Amino acid sequence: MPRVRKRMVVVLALALAGSLLVGSVVAAQRGGNPPDAAKVEAAIAAARMTRVADVAGGEGFARRGVFIQELDTGDLCVWDAASASSPDRQGGCNSIDEPLGGSAVSANLAYDGGPAIENVRDARLSGLASSSAASVVVLMSDGSERTLRLKPLHLDAGDFAAFGFRFKKSDLRSGIGPIAVIARAAGGKELGRQATGIGG
Amino acid sequence: MTRSWFVVVAMVVALALSAIASAESVNYYSTSSWSAGQGGSSSFSSSWFMNIIAKSSSFDSTITFIDNVSYSWHSTLRGPGTYLSTHWLSSQVKKAHCRANVAAYSSTSCAVRS
Repeated sequence: MPRVRKRMVVVLALALAGSLLVGSVVAAQRGGNPPDAAKVEAAIAAARMTRVADVAGGEGFARRGVFIQELDTGDLCVWDAASASSPDRQGGCNSIDEPLGGSAVSANLAYDGGPAIENVRDARLSGLASSSAASVVVLMSDGSERTLRLKPLHLDAGDFAAFGFRFKKSDLRSGIGPIAVIARAAGGKELGRQATGIGG
Repeated sequence: MTRSWFVVVAMVVALALSAIASAESVNYYSTSSWSAGQGGSSSFSSSWFMNIIAKSSSFDSTITFIDNVSYSWHSTLRGPGTYLSTHWLSSQVKKAHCRANVAAYSSTSCAVRS
């Protein structure tokens, strides 16, 4: 009887170890836990907003800014906002160790209206690129490109280029929208590409 | 009897006012396995103003507000960041919506604030 009990304990221990191993492999595949949103929000409320690029005004819209925040949670955030203090903002954060998410470019597309592109009233792009990018362009759905103006940005995490861009109403009304953001080296070689787009 | 009813009514009113005044936060969708186009939505409310998606790893996703009249999208944001947030400062009745634009394995939570 004690031997049977010992075997049962061993079998249970092995089963527990196996399930823990499987659980940790699955968790690792899924990248662990998401950031604590409340903690990030508190850090965002406390961190300084620094304007690093502009989003042009015109066509009935006021100029906006591209702002960054270095959070004490270890995140770097990029915002498209009316001003540094405005709650009217859209943007996001990545780990400051990898602010571009492992790519040569990281961009956020903000828009109002839609989801059909012809019904979009305003669309803007903001983000960061690697300092090794000589140019960053938006590839449009008709095959044309829009070149973004880059502003050098020096951070403890490294050197980057910041950009902001507002799409023309005539493009949107014609059903022409962005499909990718591409970073290129001086010779034209593609360094990185991020898919984007309006609607589903 | 009249006095006790008055106290009860006063307490109910005070509770209702404090509930209205306090900010509400609702996690409306969570998953760790996404297919392209998959998403979820909150209930409709006029008091929602902030929509958030928090991910364990970076992937291409969209958050937006959808009004209950034309079902148009408002203050939409598409990006790869592990934390995205958008604000729609309108008293219109709306729901928050989050979705993946690619298939991804990432523990993710979508939340809306009032």
